[in-house]
Amino acid sequence: MEDPPRAPAHNPFFRFVHAVQNTIDRPVTWFRESVVTPNRPDHVYYHQKFRRVPTIDQCYTDDPVCRFEAQQQFNRDKLVDGEIVQLVRQRLKECIAYEIPDQDRKCAKLKEEFDKVSESFCMKYADLGPYNNVKDAYMKQKHRMLWERRHGKVGTGMKIEE
Amino acid sequence: MSGHEMMHIKPSRWSWNRFKDLLNFYVMLGVIPATVVITYINLFIGPAKLAEIPEGYVPEVHEYYAHPITRWMTKHVKKSYQQEYEVMCQHIYETDYARKLRLAEKRVHQKMQEKQDSQAYYYEPVTGRNERHIKSMLERSVENVGTR
Repeated sequence: MEDPPRAPAHNPFFRFVHAVQNTIDRPVTWFRESVVTPNRPDHVYYHQKFRRVPTIDQCYTDDPVCRFEAQQQFNRDKLVDGEIVQLVRQRLKECIAYEIPDQDRKCAKLKEEFDKVSESFCMKYADLGPYNNVKDAYMKQKHRMLWERRHGKVGTGMKIEE
Repeated sequence: MSGHEMMHIKPSRWSWNRFKDLLNFYVMLGVIPATVVITYINLFIGPAKLAEIPEGYVPEVHEYYAHPITRWMTKHVKKSYQQEYEVMCQHIYETDYARKLRLAEKRVHQKMQEKQDSQAYYYEPVTGRNERHIKSMLERSVENVGTR
């Protein structure tokens, strides 16, 4: 993580401010660059990639091992999707914080993206209760598809039987 | 009564002295070595950098973590996610197998109850091993004691 480059200070006020900052910054930077960094070995770490296993709709009903694997995959996917939603939300927040008071006009595209992403997240994972269950999520999808078959797209209202 | 040394009457300092002893003991034992070790590790070994997994290479479990102390723990102390996962899969498989066997037994019992035509399930095969053992014990007791 590198610091952003500092603009050269031409007026004396900023020169003074930079000098005050350097009284702490210079010794620390010197220590790190001359004593610490050369002596560190270069090691790396990786992000783990998991293989895809059959999901719950491909499992037989009497196969609990398949169900366990589908549940673990569901948990991992929920974490990943949660992080995706957080990233999109963070982008929107930064845009708003930067563009106030024009945020309605300038951040409209990001807001639309965030609405779509959070809507799809909630369609899959929300309203299931505190103990998540891959079978409950699957049943939620089934019920939504049945409802859509009878009443049209979600959000367009229920059709009342005559 | 009129000596040079007079006893100073004051409240007991025992608790305070013991507190100082214990504080010194635990600081020397725990705080100082831990600080030194952790500072050394953070300065001279340092966290790892993130990199892409090279083609065809399966990293060890401890290479998925950044900080050296976490890496050491996953290498030598903790069980990996994969190990726990596979152990759990095997456990689920075994208990499910036993459950299916029990359900089958229950169905067999029910059928036997309905039809009332088979005693084969309740037949217990008898071996002569126990009886031979008891007989030999009896013979030995006759030798030792004189009677049975």
